[in-house]
Amino acid sequence: MNDDEIRQVVRETYARIARERGGTAVTDPNAGSCCGPQQAAGDASCCAPQNMDSAQSCCAPQSSASCCGPADAAAMAVGYTKEELQSIPESAGMGLGCGNPTALASLSEGEVVVDLGAGGGIDCFLAAHAVGKYGKVIGVDMTPDMVSAARTNAQRGGYENVDFRLGEIEHLPVADDSADVVISNCVINLSPDKPQVFREAFRTLRPGGRVMVSDIVLCGELPDAIKSSLTAYTGCISGALPVEEYLAAITAAGFSDAEVVSKTAVGSGELEGVVASVNVRAVKPV
Amino acid sequence: MDILVCPVCKGELELTVEEENEKEIVTGSLYCAKCDVRYPIEETIPNLLPPE
Repeated sequence: MNDDEIRQVVRETYARIARERGGTAVTDPNAGSCCGPQQAAGDASCCAPQNMDSAQSCCAPQSSASCCGPADAAAMAVGYTKEELQSIPESAGMGLGCGNPTALASLSEGEVVVDLGAGGGIDCFLAAHAVGKYGKVIGVDMTPDMVSAARTNAQRGGYENVDFRLGEIEHLPVADDSADVVISNCVINLSPDKPQVFREAFRTLRPGGRVMVSDIVLCGELPDAIKSSLTAYTGCISGALPVEEYLAAITAAGFSDAEVVSKTAVGSGELEGVVASVNVRAVKPV
Repeated sequence: MDILVCPVCKGELELTVEEENEKEIVTGSLYCAKCDVRYPIEETIPNLLPPE
């Protein structure tokens, strides 16, 4: 599969998710995979195949500890609090994240935040609360249906410090040295050119700015059948880089202090020990 | 608006407003003179996907 094919399939897959989950509450109890497409939830998903013990899932949408719908349960399983979820428009979270980067980004009032692959806007809205009215959040996503859904959510929530724009994270439409923080949640693994994504993040950050991303990485070798599967690609697995390579790509882009802040194993069955969800931080040197 | 740039050359964009409300631009375009590409704004969303 070439880069254009990958981009096209990713866009089509997430457009479908945006249409299905964007405007209404999620009702399918199996729809809450951290890794996106429900279609990937068979043997090719890092998360929550239906026949799997939910205790082994990173997402555990079946958990009875949930106060809310399955999308909220999935979101809480990857690190969002009930209070955070109650503070944002209901359909902003589509159960697609694998972490809560905003919680780890130590955002301050007045900061400018760029979210790579903003989806329904969940992380943008949480960031918007943190940076306040003098701050700004820019969500970039390449899927028109996602940006429309995010836009609708912003209107519902009355957000005036969040902008969404259609764009590719490998070609950010954001000026040099203009952002304080770049966040992203389970998206960079979907890019066919991850080093370019990190170079763009570096370019848009001001010196001293920081990147805080949640993503899926590999800790071992994927089975061959999964490596070549487009479904596993859109399910956030076969596009994932080995963790060392991920950190090296960040460092090669110019960042310093690239480190894994936290790591959670998310694979089961043949993916056990192979796939992990990580929170990664790095700084653009002053 | 000053943060928005051309996704290809990262140069400045020239804004044309066709329709706006009290809060934002609803329809219009962003033109990159250097690349000679016009990026549309539709339903308040700038489409800054790089040209094919």
